[in-house]
Amino acid sequence: MTAPPPPPGEHIPALEVRDLTVRFAGLTALDAVGFTVRPGTVHALIGPNGAGKSTCFNVLSGVYRATEGSVRLGPHELTALPPHRIADLGVGRIFQNLALPPRATVEDSLMLGRHRLTRTGFVAAGLRLPSAAREEARHRARVREIAAFVGLEQQLARPAGSLPYGQQKLAELARALCMEPKLLLLDEPVAGMTADERRRTASVIAGVRDSLGISVLLVEHDMGLVMRLADSVTVLDFGRRIADGAPGDVQNDPAVVRAYLGEESAA
Amino acid sequence: MSEILTRSGLRVGSPAVYGGAAACLVLLVLPFYLDRFWLQAGLFAMAAALGAIGINLLTGATGQLSMGHAFFLAVGAYGYCAFAGDGADGLAGLGLPGWLAAVLAVALSGLAGGVFSPIAGRLRGAYLGIATLALIFIGQHVLFNAHDLTGGFNGRAVPPLSLFGLTFDDTELLVAQVPFGAVEKLWYLGLALLLGGVLFARGVLRGRPGRAMNAIRDHRIAAGVMGIPVARYRAAVFVLSSMYAGLAGVLLALVFQRTVPEYFGMALSLEYLAMIVIGGLGSVAGAVAGGVFVSLLPQLLNRYSDALPLVSAPGTGGIAPGEAARYLYGAAVVAVVLFLPGGLARLAARRPGKPGSGKSPKTPMHTPNTPTTTEPSGEAR
Ligand SMILES: Nc1ncnc2c1ncn2[C@@H]1O[C@H](COP(=O)(O)OP(=O)(O)OP(=O)(O)O)[C@@H](O)[C@H]1O
Ligand SMILES: [Mg+2]
Repeated sequence: MTAPPPPPGEHIPALEVRDLTVRFAGLTALDAVGFTVRPGTVHALIGPNGAGKSTCFNVLSGVYRATEGSVRLGPHELTALPPHRIADLGVGRIFQNLALPPRATVEDSLMLGRHRLTRTGFVAAGLRLPSAAREEARHRARVREIAAFVGLEQQLARPAGSLPYGQQKLAELARALCMEPKLLLLDEPVAGMTADERRRTASVIAGVRDSLGISVLLVEHDMGLVMRLADSVTVLDFGRRIADGAPGDVQNDPAVVRAYLGEESAA
Repeated sequence: MSEILTRSGLRVGSPAVYGGAAACLVLLVLPFYLDRFWLQAGLFAMAAALGAIGINLLTGATGQLSMGHAFFLAVGAYGYCAFAGDGADGLAGLGLPGWLAAVLAVALSGLAGGVFSPIAGRLRGAYLGIATLALIFIGQHVLFNAHDLTGGFNGRAVPPLSLFGLTFDDTELLVAQVPFGAVEKLWYLGLALLLGGVLFARGVLRGRPGRAMNAIRDHRIAAGVMGIPVARYRAAVFVLSSMYAGLAGVLLALVFQRTVPEYFGMALSLEYLAMIVIGGLGSVAGAVAGGVFVSLLPQLLNRYSDALPLVSAPGTGGIAPGEAARYLYGAAVVAVVLFLPGGLARLAARRPGKPGSGKSPKTPMHTPNTPTTTEPSGEAR
C-alpha cells in the first residue's frame, strides 16, 4: 500500500521519554519509565492490563501531568505543554475507546483533524468569506485522499456513528493521519476489529512508516501484529519497564514471559 | 460544484428553495395585513429567535450551560438606552445616533461576555451554568438600584432607532395606502437582523469553528489532543453568544419601547433554555423554531383566552394566559426530552420527501458492536 504523497519534507524528530513517573492518589501508574522512539520507526509499548500504557499516552499528549521525568520531542519538552500545543508540534493520537462524534459525517470528523492546519475563524466562517471557502475545499480534497488511503472513501458521507465498530476505529486512525503528524500515538488500534480490518490497519501503519517516515508509538494486545510491525518494543508491568529491545529478544525475555503468564510461572 | 450546492442545501429548483422563497414573501407582506398586536408578537418572536441562536451556539453546540443569558439581553437593552438616550429624562445618556447606539450595545454585550470569559473558558458544562447564575443576581441588583443609569424599578424609555434617515417611531409613513408605524417599520429591521443572524450562525456551525465547538461538546479531551485550544474556544463562543443576546436585547427594547428590570430575571434565562430544548439543541433552525414557539405561545393564549377552557384573563378565577403558557412549554420541554430528542428541528427534518431524510434509508444503520464498555466522554483512554 502506498501512502498519499507526504507533506513537504519535514524533519521527523525522535521522542525521548526519561524517568517518567505518574502517581495518582496512592497509586504509582508509571515508575521511572524511559524509552526512545527513533525517527521513522514503529515502537511498540506493551504490557498486561493496567500496566500504565494509556497513562503514558496521556502524559505524551498533555492530558495528564507527569509527577516526575521528562518527555522530549526533538527540542521540545512536552510535559509542560497543554494538549493543543503538543498537537501543534505534530503529535497525533487515537484513543483506546472511540472518541468520534457519532452524528457528524466521516468527512466532517476527518476535517477536525485538519484543525491545526487551517485558520478560518468565527468571523471568516460566519461571513462565508471566499478565503474560508477556498481553505475548506482544499482541505476536504486532502481528507478524501487520506480516506481513500485507509479505505473509507465509500463511507465519507455517512454519520461516523453508523459505521461498524472496526470502521469507526479506522476512521479515528484516518482522523489522526489528517493531522499530518510526525509522531502517531496509537492506543489499541485494532481492538474490536475483524481479521480483515486488522490486516488493513496493519498495512496502513506500515505504509505510514515506510512512505511517510512518520514515527509510530503503538500500544496493542495483539502480539502477532506487534511482532510483525514493531521495530522495537518496550514492555511495562505495574508501571515499571521490564524489558526493552528488538521484538525477537523481548519475546523470549523471562521477565516478560512471567508478566504475561502471571502466577502460573511465578509458582 | 454541484456537490457543494447540495451540501449547503441550496439545490436550484428543490422544494426547499421554493418553500423558503414563498415563506420570505409572506413574511415581507405581513405588515400590510396584520394588526399591531400580531406584528408586535412577531417581533418578540424574532428577538427571541436571535437570543436563542446565541444560547444554542453556547449550550447546544459547545455543551456549555448558561443561566446568565438574560443578563446579556439586559446589557444590550439598557446599553442601547444609555448610548442613545439624550439625558432629557434625567437618566445617563450619550445621545448617540440610534444605529451607532445599537452597534455599541451589541459590542458592549460582547465585552461583558469577554469580561466573564476567563471563567467561561475554565468551567465546563453544568459548572458554568452555576457560575453564570451570579450574573443574574448581579444584573438584577444593578438594574433595580443604579437609578441614574437604569431608571430603577420603573425602567427607562427607549429612544427610537434611526437608520438612513428613517426613524423607527410612530410618526406615520404611508406605504401603499397602509400607515406604517413603529412596529411595521421595525418588522423589516427585525427580519433583516434575523436573516443576518441565522446566516452568520450557520456559517460558523458548518465551518471550522463549528466542528471544533461540537468536538468540545462531544469529546472534550480528544478535542484538545486534536489541536483545539479548548479554553480559548469556550471563551470565544461565550462572547459570540453574549453578542447575540445583546442584539436580541436591543430589538426587544425597540419593540417594547420601555425596558423594565424584572423582565431580565432568572425566568427569562430559563425561557431561553426551554426554547433551545424544544426547538433542537445545537442547530440554528432549532433555535429559531423554539424561539418562535416559546414567545408566541403566551401571546396566542392571551389573544384567545376567551375561547379556551380554564384559561381566562388575569384576576378572573381561571389560569392567567401567561401562567398557562408556562405550564404548556414546561410540558413541551418534558415531552421533547422524552419523545423527540432533537426537538422541533429534527421533526421537520424527518418529514418524508425532504432532502436529507432520504439519506438514511440507503445506508442501513449498523449498531456498533462495541466490545469495550462506553465510558463517559471525559475519560481519557
Ligand atoms: N485518572 C486516573 N486516576 C486514578 N487512577 C488511574 C487513572 N488513570 C489510570 N489509572 C490507573 O493507572 C493504572 C494504569 O492504567 P492504564 O489505563 O494506563 O493501563 P493500561 O496499560 O492502558 O491498561 P489496558 O491494557 O487495560 O488499557 C491502572 O491501575 C489504572 O486504574
Ligand atoms: Mg489502556
